[in-house]
Amino acid sequence: MATNSSEQSNGGMNRRKFLSVVGVAGGGAAVLPGCSTDRVQKLVPYLIQDENQVPGLATTYASTCTECPAGCGLHVKTREARAIKLEGNPDHPINTGALCARGHAGLQGLYNPGRLKSPMVRNADGSLDPVSWDDALARLSQEVARAGSGTRVISGAGPGTFSDLLAAWTQALGGRLVRYQPFDHEPLRAANRRVFGIDSVPSYDFGRAKYILEFGADFLETWLSPVEHHRGFARAHGYHDGEMAKFVSLTPRMSMTGMNADEWHPITPGSEAAVALAMANVILSERSGAPSDANALRGMLARHTPEAAAQEAGLGAEAIRRVAREFASAKPSLAVAGGIGSQHRGAEMLCAAVNLLNYIAGNVGQTIDFGAPVPTGDGYGALEALTSAMRDGHVGLVIVHESNPAYTVPATVQFEAAFTRVGFKVSTASVLDETAALCDLILPNHHGLERWDDLRPRPGVRSLMQPVMEPVFDTRATGDVLLDVARAAESGPLAQFTAASFEAHLKQAWVGVAQARGSTDPEQFWVDALARGGVFEDSPAAPVVSLAADAAQIVATAPAFDGDGDLVFMAYPSPMLFDGRGANKPWLLENPDPVTKVTWRSCLELHPDTAKALDVREGEILRLTSPHGSIEAPVYVYPGLHPGVVATPLGFGHTAYGDYAQGRGVNALDLLGAAPGAGGGLGFVAYASTRVRTERTGRYQQVPKTEGNPRQLGRGIAEAMPIGLAQRGLTPKEAHYAEVGGEPHEVNTERELEALAGFAEAQEHAATKGDYVGEHPQWGMVIDLARCTGCSACVTACYAENNIPTVGEQEVLRGREMSWMRIERYFEGGEDPGEPVEARFVPMLCQHCGNAPCEPVCPVYAAYHTTDGLNGQAYNRCVGTRYCGNNCPYKVRYFNWFPYNERSFPDPLHLQLNPDVTVRARGVMEKCTFCVQRIRGAQNRAALEDRDLMDGDVTPACAQACPADAIVFGDRMDPESRVSRAGRDHRGYHVFDALHVRPAVTYLAKVRYQEEG
Amino acid sequence: MRKLAMALGGSAVLVLAAWSLGRETSSAQGGRATPGAAALDSTTAPVLAAADTARLKGPRQPIFFRHDIHAGQYKMQCQYCHYSVGASSEPGIPSMQTCMGCHLVIGGADSATRAEIQKVRDAYNQKQPVEWVRVHYLARHAHFPHMRHMKALGPTACATCHGDVTRMPQVFKVNNITNMGWCIDCHLEKDVSRDCSVCHY
Repeated sequence: MATNSSEQSNGGMNRRKFLSVVGVAGGGAAVLPGCSTDRVQKLVPYLIQDENQVPGLATTYASTCTECPAGCGLHVKTREARAIKLEGNPDHPINTGALCARGHAGLQGLYNPGRLKSPMVRNADGSLDPVSWDDALARLSQEVARAGSGTRVISGAGPGTFSDLLAAWTQALGGRLVRYQPFDHEPLRAANRRVFGIDSVPSYDFGRAKYILEFGADFLETWLSPVEHHRGFARAHGYHDGEMAKFVSLTPRMSMTGMNADEWHPITPGSEAAVALAMANVILSERSGAPSDANALRGMLARHTPEAAAQEAGLGAEAIRRVAREFASAKPSLAVAGGIGSQHRGAEMLCAAVNLLNYIAGNVGQTIDFGAPVPTGDGYGALEALTSAMRDGHVGLVIVHESNPAYTVPATVQFEAAFTRVGFKVSTASVLDETAALCDLILPNHHGLERWDDLRPRPGVRSLMQPVMEPVFDTRATGDVLLDVARAAESGPLAQFTAASFEAHLKQAWVGVAQARGSTDPEQFWVDALARGGVFEDSPAAPVVSLAADAAQIVATAPAFDGDGDLVFMAYPSPMLFDGRGANKPWLLENPDPVTKVTWRSCLELHPDTAKALDVREGEILRLTSPHGSIEAPVYVYPGLHPGVVATPLGFGHTAYGDYAQGRGVNALDLLGAAPGAGGGLGFVAYASTRVRTERTGRYQQVPKTEGNPRQLGRGIAEAMPIGLAQRGLTPKEAHYAEVGGEPHEVNTERELEALAGFAEAQEHAATKGDYVGEHPQWGMVIDLARCTGCSACVTACYAENNIPTVGEQEVLRGREMSWMRIERYFEGGEDPGEPVEARFVPMLCQHCGNAPCEPVCPVYAAYHTTDGLNGQAYNRCVGTRYCGNNCPYKVRYFNWFPYNERSFPDPLHLQLNPDVTVRARGVMEKCTFCVQRIRGAQNRAALEDRDLMDGDVTPACAQACPADAIVFGDRMDPESRVSRAGRDHRGYHVFDALHVRPAVTYLAKVRYQEEG
Repeated sequence: MRKLAMALGGSAVLVLAAWSLGRETSSAQGGRATPGAAALDSTTAPVLAAADTARLKGPRQPIFFRHDIHAGQYKMQCQYCHYSVGASSEPGIPSMQTCMGCHLVIGGADSATRAEIQKVRDAYNQKQPVEWVRVHYLARHAHFPHMRHMKALGPTACATCHGDVTRMPQVFKVNNITNMGWCIDCHLEKDVSRDCSVCHY
């Protein structure tokens, strides 16, 4: 692992600026048709060779992801001084080497075509025009001096040295800082305050839990720290040695997280708290062992009987009792609540009820760690207060940093009207988002990969960020802007900030960090920390938690809803777009939603019964009207919803934020009311507290989804077996016959035996034709469906690694998406009333068949079998007959119908292209290569080191990204390799085994808690 | 042009000599050349001026850089400048700093050479890297790991594809390396992999 620590530490960016960093030819993959001989005509040398950049070899820098507040560690792969891929930092305690889809797509934030190319200022005629940094900074200094203590700052930056500086800077002025995150989990924090007297959000250890109960907390998607939860969840819920945790989800909408549940109960919206309290009641009254102070709760809980809760939730009282008993007997267990998708008016009560449930079951301190609180902002209430002050014209200057309140608060709050009454408005947005578009001065910040900073995602973790390349545009780190303003002030309150640059300020802060750890050589400490990605220590010991005095005062009443419509409107956070910040990244837009498989836009999701009652079908545009507004969007129907709700993802419907985001889908916030005004303020946005009326429009819009049939129709693609049968060591086939009866078909007729013998002979003959025999590795993959959660991180990782073009909505409608790796989602059950619904995920990629149907039909031998067991695709041979794609039973071959390579990477997105992978031209068939460039790279490295390849030398992008470690890759010829050992599992099967195409990808059947037979 | 050459180089004889030398080297390098097998055995590179390059094969470079002087007469190792050829698929183009390591001191023996070296110094001082014209290139769908070939064939293997640049006043393409047959011939001869996906991915 090379790091640029030495380079950064002596001279830093100034020296870098001196270098004329021009990649050596070939390295800078320009957008040119891959299969042509178009060539770089000039070879431009470095002026001074950067010792950390060897042309043709990747240099990796450690950094920190800023795509959500979780603070995962990154390894940024650079080639010829350009970031080309983001990967997880294996040493980082939060994500330990994995990275989610949003994290991968951070690269498209860096190279986003919508980024501002220079500072902008609003001129007299109202237009925003480019301005020089000198002028922009002078203007800012002038406005700051004028506003003084009237300065207000809205910042979405996570806790770290920059945030500390921003807070100190604002305080020095006498102004106020509002740390605002749209998904700030205020109800969770309020509930902790109320029940435990602790004003923070703890971290959750899913890895230790033996039973997980979820009341609408999408912990694998957007809730707190999704990648970390993934790793824990896979450890707990991934089947191994006959054991796995049970996961029960009780939510009105089956999110991707809920799809991984062994049981999903679609309970009535708003009834979650009653169910949680009823469960707590059952446990407390039936079992001993609860902490002694829980006895004070007996009176309050006795009012919450399972019967009453059952009636409210539309769930059997017996089911509530059973789940409660199971939850209490599995120690430790974990119940979670407080996701954005179920954040209704009663969200605080719900979180409080779940706190009690955990407390009574003895989980606090076991799976819930208050010693390592996760960072939160000041909450929505603080923004609300600031909005009122702005509306009253009391604010002279507002600086908005890494935040987009004009988009992320409901329209009824009228943030825009209040904001425009501010004397002078400054934004540091790097993209012209909705808020920046209202500002008078825009000082675009560096992207997270272009600037210095550190983040403290939890106590004990200090994660560093460092510039990995020259800035793409004429931007400036906001830390430097603050220091520039301070320098320009010369005297006055800001004069205390004397650091020459933010880099110097950060290094100075780290001298303190080094000294606090007893380091005698702060410089070396800094260099080591930079190389490792930060300083990682254990969090402080968890405090002893007991119930607060008024914990028993909780009253769970069904929350009130705005409006009088028939359906409850649920705006849920999109696992791809998060709070909307992902909407300008084509990788995230084209990566289908894991639940609905819809790309590029938002739909209104309905239960089939509801759709029938409304007489609408998929694609019909429905108008939803709430007391606060109305939206129109096409309908998507699937069984993973309570029939009384209509759901749509947040994050779409931007009116600014670049060409990719603008005007795409609808903004769910348009239907939501502002929380009640001063006095009765909830302190959070109630995303699930609105009832809507529906109205058919009679118009249709085809839904750009990537699913074919949502049902398997007996094809055996995604196999699953009950845990009882798995414990008996049955294969998926045996488990199938054990469940449904019957027996396997025996090969017995003369004709069958003759055919098989003939086939074997033909195979042997074929093997003599090529270099198929001998000491070659035979690459293979094992995918454990008991671990796969469908999160689609692998999909984005594959796009990034393999230069896969995004084709756009219109082409997806024609089924022309190019995703080499796709997550297929199938529903089981839910067709008859009362029948439970189950969802299964299968990552589908080229199976690299040993007897591949695509190979013999290629007239030009472009599709062929390599000696090391890959199903090769020579792009330069391909003439585009598409015979191979037609003959592929898995539909994993993708054809370049148009020059997507020219369309999909508008300047400067093309800078992200991986120079090790050919950019495919129009008319070429392409597909998963098992990351052959990584295989060849590893072979080259091994050859230079005079050694054989070892197990683990090659990791394809998908396996590397997977936060659940569901994918294992390696040499099937080596009986001791991880892939061979995993493949011998009794749960192993091949998709479409009966076709006898002998895939190199083995799936391990999912294991579920369910009744057998 | 010729008048100018005479004025700069001093005599027409010299120009003719250069012309004939160019012919001989090219004929010697028509096939798969190995170092030392060339017809001419002189290690002293001919004196040529930039203006003479029109008569030489290969594209004219912004600076008349003489491989025959550097690699031939002074016997500098190829890897001294093409520093990453043993470690990476890219051979590496020397940075301007590498040039200046010597040319800070070495200014050239005659006025023509001095003029060329001055161009290097100017480029370095003005922080404007020289844009060399590329001679050898492969299509983007072909991946050629230089390091594997250096490892297998040794440090003198460059000439196998690039010809004997120690005798080239101006580098030109000796072999049709863009033709896949060129690669396959050798891979057949050495009995190494001919699998498509070894180079094409």
